[in-house]
Amino acid sequence: MIDVVFFDLGDSQGSTETKDQYDMVIIGGGPAGLTAAIYASRGGLDTLVIEKSSEGGQIAATEKVENYPGFISIDGLELAEKFSDHARHFGATISNRGVRNLTFCCDKKTIVMDDSSEIEAKTIVIATGATHRKLGVPGEKEYEGKGVSYCAICDGAFFRDKHVAVIGGGNSAIDEGLYLTQTASKVTVVHRRDKLRADKILQERAFNNPKMEFVWDSVVEEVQGDAFVNNLVLKNVKDGTQSDFPVDGVFIYIGLVPNSALLKNLLQTTHDGFIKVNPVTFETSLPGVFAVGDVIDKELRQIINAAADGASAASSAIKLYF
Amino acid sequence: MGLLKKKDQEQIKDRLAEEMKDTVKIILFLTEDESKCHYCNQTKEVLQEVSALSGGKLEVEEYNYEQNKELAKQYGVEYLPGFVILDKDSKHYNVIFHGAPFGHEFATLLEDIIVISNGANPPVSQEVVEKLKAINKPVKIQAFVTPTCPYCPKAVLTAHFFSMINPEFISGEMVEASEFPELSAKYGVSSVPQMVINDGANSFVGAFPEKEYLEEVLKVL
Ligand SMILES: Cc1cc2nc3c(=O)[nH]c(=O)nc-3n(C[C@H](O)[C@H](O)[C@H](O)COP(=O)(O)OP(=O)(O)OC[C@H]3O[C@@H](n4cnc5c(N)ncnc54)[C@H](O)[C@@H]3O)c2cc1C
Repeated sequence: MIDVVFFDLGDSQGSTETKDQYDMVIIGGGPAGLTAAIYASRGGLDTLVIEKSSEGGQIAATEKVENYPGFISIDGLELAEKFSDHARHFGATISNRGVRNLTFCCDKKTIVMDDSSEIEAKTIVIATGATHRKLGVPGEKEYEGKGVSYCAICDGAFFRDKHVAVIGGGNSAIDEGLYLTQTASKVTVVHRRDKLRADKILQERAFNNPKMEFVWDSVVEEVQGDAFVNNLVLKNVKDGTQSDFPVDGVFIYIGLVPNSALLKNLLQTTHDGFIKVNPVTFETSLPGVFAVGDVIDKELRQIINAAADGASAASSAIKLYF
Repeated sequence: MGLLKKKDQEQIKDRLAEEMKDTVKIILFLTEDESKCHYCNQTKEVLQEVSALSGGKLEVEEYNYEQNKELAKQYGVEYLPGFVILDKDSKHYNVIFHGAPFGHEFATLLEDIIVISNGANPPVSQEVVEKLKAINKPVKIQAFVTPTCPYCPKAVLTAHFFSMINPEFISGEMVEASEFPELSAKYGVSSVPQMVINDGANSFVGAFPEKEYLEEVLKVL
């Protein structure tokens, strides 16, 4: 059997054409946004989800998910598809476009799209999620696409029988590191502490995997190479010593930055950009504008609570505004 | 039995019935030598299955590459499996696939079929359309992808949409990087999507929005 993906990619056709007014416009089609769409549509709201890249958000780029209830193990992509099918099933429209700007004026909420068209919404849900954090060291940008990657399932195929480093010690780093052991000859996890932050079960798998090695208490100071990455300059944070660490590629999983640039100065955020919400209603500092999922200020950033945020926000919106 | 899952078949059937207007023809180049083409058979089978689900609207014409090199060249097909999508009048929009359209790229395939079946008027902003139409030198966009890359279809479609707008000068190719390791190595592809313009005159990594994408393309002119 062949795996094929069905995301409807476009507005090529009448069927996904969007109107210029909705009860609820959800920006971002990850688990948080798609769950908000399920609750809003079932609640009778005319609902639009705007997703600029790939339906399912970060889960579409995740190899396997093992902690979403009901699925002992499911491909990220398959779960993503189930979420979007589910949202469509109850009548939500999903549009594959980007949002450029939001304007709030005089009781009107207007969403300005990349192509400059405008959509008006009675309520808005910000579900724009988060993006991988960069190391911010010399060579990282220069070698992006030349051995520096942020997506193991996208790029793993190019490192067959090669030695790669994974930077980070959380769930994503270890999960994707384990995925890379399927193709790479060796995967070295470089972590700034002396123990992993990932779930115990992942740690056990990592420690038992003969292809996985660990460099503790170390941070990357520089990415080096010729045409291609061939070395990392590592610094031991305990004794300050520097060393060369030859590798063929490096995958970076060191955390997240919120996709909240769109909203700069419009909403209250933490100093690093995570949106502040009312923990009960998920409403932001602007009435009628809600925020959910990885983009908000919270402790745990996972699919299950992204989905839960979406449900709560849609349900409070219905109570408060319709 | 078939390669496509039952549930997928139903979705494909519904979507094509709903969204295809005119007939569309795929010209597919293959070789019998499996050692030269690991995905020829599967690609052929999947395209035939899609054709069977199209209610007679999608035709697939197969050619042996070795015996039809000249024809393949006319269509811009250089690697196998390779195919192009033509409209009802057999007009070629330089929408080219090199490699199997599986995983995420299946979504690209369906989208291309539907857009071409509706007159090849892709959803591209007027501003970008005008700049594309003004191009009067050959531009070849090769979008390197892997089937597991969720950001890739958008990058391939943008290349295909650009070529639909100005097929006389622009060609848009999907290249499945893992099937053509030598070609990928030639351009140093190690992250996808990576676009290679005019055989390496410029290249960039990432699914850029259409305006930025166009700017990168224009750099070779
Ligand atoms: C490698 C990896 C592995 C993971 N593994 C697990 C796991 O096993 N279990 C688990 O529970 N969680 C896992 N997570 C975390 C989980 O994926 C996230 O918590 C979850 O996806 C957050 O959902 P979200 O909807 O808030 O945001 P996202 O999934 O980030 O989705 C946001 C969406 O909004 C879109 N968007 C952003 N800006 C705009 C705009 N301006 N216009 C239009 N669209 C926009 C983006 O394209 C994106 O698709 C993993 C994450 C990663 C990176």
